[in-house]
Amino acid sequence: MRAYIAARLATAILVVLGVSAVSFFLTFLTGDPAEIMLPPGATAAQITKFRAEWGFDDPLPVQYWRFLHRAVQGDFGISLRHGQSSLPLIAARLPATLQLTVTAMLLAIALAVPLGVLAATHRGGKIDLLAMGVALFGQSVPNFWLAIMMILLFAVSWGVLPTSGRGGWAHVVMPATAIAINLTALLTRLVRTAVIEVLAEDYVRTARGKGLRELFVLGRHAVPNALIPLVTVIGLQFGYILGGAVVIETIFTWPGVGLFTIQAILNRDYPVVQASVFILATAVVLINLAVDLVYVWLDPRIRVA
Amino acid sequence: MTRRVALGLAIVALAVAPAAAAPSGEVKIGLAAEPNTFDPHLTVGRNSQIFIVNVYDGLTARDAQGNLVPALAESWKRLTPTTWQFALRKGVKFHNGDDFNAESVKFTLDRATNPETKATISSELGTIASTEIVDSFTVNVITRTPDFLLPVRLGELFGLMLSPKHTNAVGKEAIATRPNGTGPFKLVTWSKNDQMVLESNESYWRGAPKVKKITVRPILEDAARIAALQAGEVDLITPIPYARIGELKRNDKLVIKTIAAPRVFHVTIDVRKPPFDNVKVRQALNYGVDVNAIVKSLYFGYGTRLATVVDKGALGYDPSVPPYPFDPNKAKALLAEAGFPNGFETEFDSFTGSIADHAKPAEAIVGYLQKVGVKVKQNVFEFAAFGPRRVQNRTAPLFIYSIGNAYLEPSWVIRWLTQGGLGMHYKNARLDEMLTRIEATDDRIKRAQQYSDVQKLIKDEAPFIFLFQADAVFGMSNRIDYTPRPDETQWLYPLALRG
Repeated sequence: MRAYIAARLATAILVVLGVSAVSFFLTFLTGDPAEIMLPPGATAAQITKFRAEWGFDDPLPVQYWRFLHRAVQGDFGISLRHGQSSLPLIAARLPATLQLTVTAMLLAIALAVPLGVLAATHRGGKIDLLAMGVALFGQSVPNFWLAIMMILLFAVSWGVLPTSGRGGWAHVVMPATAIAINLTALLTRLVRTAVIEVLAEDYVRTARGKGLRELFVLGRHAVPNALIPLVTVIGLQFGYILGGAVVIETIFTWPGVGLFTIQAILNRDYPVVQASVFILATAVVLINLAVDLVYVWLDPRIRVA
Repeated sequence: MTRRVALGLAIVALAVAPAAAAPSGEVKIGLAAEPNTFDPHLTVGRNSQIFIVNVYDGLTARDAQGNLVPALAESWKRLTPTTWQFALRKGVKFHNGDDFNAESVKFTLDRATNPETKATISSELGTIASTEIVDSFTVNVITRTPDFLLPVRLGELFGLMLSPKHTNAVGKEAIATRPNGTGPFKLVTWSKNDQMVLESNESYWRGAPKVKKITVRPILEDAARIAALQAGEVDLITPIPYARIGELKRNDKLVIKTIAAPRVFHVTIDVRKPPFDNVKVRQALNYGVDVNAIVKSLYFGYGTRLATVVDKGALGYDPSVPPYPFDPNKAKALLAEAGFPNGFETEFDSFTGSIADHAKPAEAIVGYLQKVGVKVKQNVFEFAAFGPRRVQNRTAPLFIYSIGNAYLEPSWVIRWLTQGGLGMHYKNARLDEMLTRIEATDDRIKRAQQYSDVQKLIKDEAPFIFLFQADAVFGMSNRIDYTPRPDETQWLYPLALRG
């Protein structure tokens, strides 16, 4: 087990390094912050001088080496835009993003599991139809559209929720729902299929044959086994959730990593982009690792070769 | 008895005198973007420069009409072609109690021009060679070359004054969030992307502001920002998409105010490349685009058709110079005269993701050009990717752009537009000569008169497709009173609560 974790951690480091290298070159190849940073009246000569002062005119490998040299010491440089160290800037925004994404994830699980189980046990019936209708809606509705519709309905027309920003838990409701909607749909379908499959297993027939009550059969035998693939999917989906958070954080001006990163990308604030990619990639890799470990723990049959 | 009446009158007078009213109440504001920093030398983007003045002051300022007025400098004069002398206001204090004086000015300008500061605004202060203290309240600023614009440069966008003691004490990183200015508001707290709280500076030298507390929330998404105003969460928002103005105007709890912003949209023509070296072709392009229709349909009429690259708020704007009328037949005739009866092929660069929308007007312009026979291939870039194309002079023969006339001075805009770099290659010796003469004239009124001929010449030469300036739009609840400024500055000092 230790060797397994060690190997996974080594891969994780390689993944984070690779992701940061790709993002470094991509941000550089698509533009230069000099023009964005200078006032619009700057002349070509002033822009050239500015680029030299900041080292933007050095060859790309030189800049990458400079970046890597500092990054291994945990220093991602000073934000070009904010004039402050970039890693603490991103780290300070992580709690807001985690609050949003974890809430969204819990919300999706809380909705999807009962809905999926009900759909499976009432297969072909009205409840199944309703659950699958909800899932279809959830999968096809663009979350940014849903976000704006919710703002108009709950904040402007009814005045029951705040339009945007971060404050109390009322602020979390709409952005978390907007993020959760696609995941809820996916998980509902998954739970439904998994429960249907498990219900056809021999051990379920045996349990029923012993005369156990249906609720006990479901709760003790069917659902726990059906949830194993769910755990994997949730782990894999965490990256997508973070991606979705970028859009939703922007719409609701939620002061998290996503919003900060998108602004940094648009402004070619390389140090912040790098710090953010590093933190997000690390988070995704660690969560996937945790999920794999939970998987092993949930299903003792899975042994590491 | 008489004494009692007098006393009573005095009490009444005190109670009603507006000057005696202490700041009160809170106003909440939703902005599309917040400043990147409160370090005036490291501001990035107009959104930062037009906001942080609320905490600082420049040596000069603008009034509500856009005229240059004294601020921390009471007066200024040019001693020699390269020496400007500023007489400073006495008795002004920074928020922490430090005195403002000549030393503050020298410290601030030395810091701004020191390469180690890596000032983002260095291009605007590049003419400054040195600053000399004459006495405690007089400074001489020496420029490398004659710079008639220096008093304007040292205004609210690029001439904000720092306290030497505070700046040295807190260090370069902390000044970004812990400013100490002389301005009407003090920064109390600021959590980026979340909210910022400003509190009135009750000992402000212009008199205390009317509102005690201002909370600023960045609300990036247009729909969310408008929703926040509609739901009463905020009292003032900007900007507002033109398409939403009509609907908001029907809401009797809201007031919508628009003002012509000094951002001049234009299409740069590469005059070096045939067929654009032929003035008839350039004029044909101007006749071929229905700019009024673009303003009407894309901007819902909230814009002004411009005859040249001089905006209507600029010094010496001449309304008697008429814009090119939309006349596609005349355009075709001019193209035929120039030897292109069947038009020609060319490329047109546009971009997305800058402070203003350039892609949609570009699409419309390309459509009009196609109709007069110019086969145009439109390229669309992300703004940050378009930048290097301009720096390396790799732009297409036609590209759309806009320049905010920060100084409300045509010569500044025209010099930039004819700099011979960034894809802009138009040169004209007569124009140069005219501008040089204007720049040697310190008297604003005399300068204004000379701009008329400049506008006529540029219009005839047509090195650009002249377009429009769009309005800035502010939405506010009817509980506040606010008048937007013509130079884009979000100056909150006059902001007041009604009733």
